[in-house]
Amino acid sequence: MSIIRTEYLNKHFGALHVLQDINLTVDQGEVVCIIGPSGAGKSTLLRALNGLESVHSGKIYIDDTLFLHREEGKLVSAPPSVQRKAMLLETGMVFQSFNLFPHKTVLENLVLAQVKVKRTPKNEAEEKARGLLDQVGLNDKAEAYPAKLSGGQQQRVAIARALAMEPRIMLFDEPTSALDPELVGGVLAVMKDLARSGMTMLVVTHEIGFAREAANRVIFMCDGQIAEEGPPAQLLGNPQNPRTRQFLNSVL
Amino acid sequence: MEAFQQAFRQIIGWMPALIKASGNTILLTATAVTTALALSVFLALGKISRVHSPSGSRGLNLLRKAASALVRGISSAYVFFFRGTPLLMQLFFIYYVLPRYIPALAFRERFWAAYIAFSLNVAAYLAEIIRAAIQSIPKGQLEASHALGFSYGQTMRMIVIPQAYRRMIPPVCNEFVMVLKDTSLVALIAMTDLTYQTKIIASNRASSLVYIPAMVVYLVMTAFFTIVFNRLEKRLSAKE
Repeated sequence: MSIIRTEYLNKHFGALHVLQDINLTVDQGEVVCIIGPSGAGKSTLLRALNGLESVHSGKIYIDDTLFLHREEGKLVSAPPSVQRKAMLLETGMVFQSFNLFPHKTVLENLVLAQVKVKRTPKNEAEEKARGLLDQVGLNDKAEAYPAKLSGGQQQRVAIARALAMEPRIMLFDEPTSALDPELVGGVLAVMKDLARSGMTMLVVTHEIGFAREAANRVIFMCDGQIAEEGPPAQLLGNPQNPRTRQFLNSVL
Repeated sequence: MEAFQQAFRQIIGWMPALIKASGNTILLTATAVTTALALSVFLALGKISRVHSPSGSRGLNLLRKAASALVRGISSAYVFFFRGTPLLMQLFFIYYVLPRYIPALAFRERFWAAYIAFSLNVAAYLAEIIRAAIQSIPKGQLEASHALGFSYGQTMRMIVIPQAYRRMIPPVCNEFVMVLKDTSLVALIAMTDLTYQTKIIASNRASSLVYIPAMVVYLVMTAFFTIVFNRLEKRLSAKE
């Protein structure tokens, strides 16, 4: 069954048609990487999936239930707000710029939404948070403020924060692009662990190595379209579309 | 030498009246700024009010959009009016004109007229400070809050305002010191603040130099609050 499915998503930024009839399906347990040149619409697509970007037209299904349907820039249908929020929480999001809450400690960053949004009792939420910090190798940083952590550590906390809400799919928006090169490995290692544990993941990335190693499927996007998709060995090793070949030549 | 001693004795003689009157200046500043702060939070949130997540029926969304536009319009008009007209005119209008049409507002104490005028006026300036502080919080904070399922109200209360609060302390303190000086306008409705008291004493030609110690009292007050606020700022920023 699919965790996320889109039908004919379209979006324009002025004259730029940034998403063109995007039909994307991510099945349970799949790790899908989206690669492509900047301005291809990768991030916009990812952000549209949890409502951070509005779309002009198209449908988004989460868990095979309609999450959003817009036509001609107008809302056609969406579930009532309580259900909408529950569906939103099926997706966890990790941002390029981490976006941790700087006025809260690491532990509070992981606990706040659990307690205030999911109404988890505080001690339960803290226990879960500490377990997740352990999982990303930062259990000694629970009481620190984000500003005291390196970029790589902040991103691992951000991953743990998203996981604390128990999402069914994790969306990663260029999670290592803002990091110093020596910090990228630690974040990718956490993501690979997550992939191995069976988490469904949709990752916008420039890390071709990660896509080759961890993905079940790679999607190449350019000019607002899905130009080519396939298993990593095929798409990265023997691309059919000349645009894919051109892109891979320029980054590898 | 003789002249110096005489001047000194004169100054000592004025002091009790000047200090008593500066109590009114501080009282008016403190009460008006406090009231204005409470009012300005609503104005600031009103000015940036938007409909955030489209959900529910189309009719309900239209209603929410209309309500939000109304709130935004009223808040913006308020700020536009009070920042765009002279404070002294606002004070005169409230003290002299309003009571003629609304007898309940016939102020027995001039203080209340001054308090209302300054509260309303300062709220408009503070609203802009608070709005700027709120809007200076990076968009990523809102996006992360959205992704974690926080409502707009929760995001404002738990994420945005606690961060904006630290950024608004320096300009709010600055505004406080400005208001402290601006309250000297109440001398024009004959409220006994430091300026008016000085003017009374100076009306006797022999005492016209009273303006000099009076200005020193203003300097002492502004210096005192500047130092207190600087300390406060340091203590709050040390936490992060």
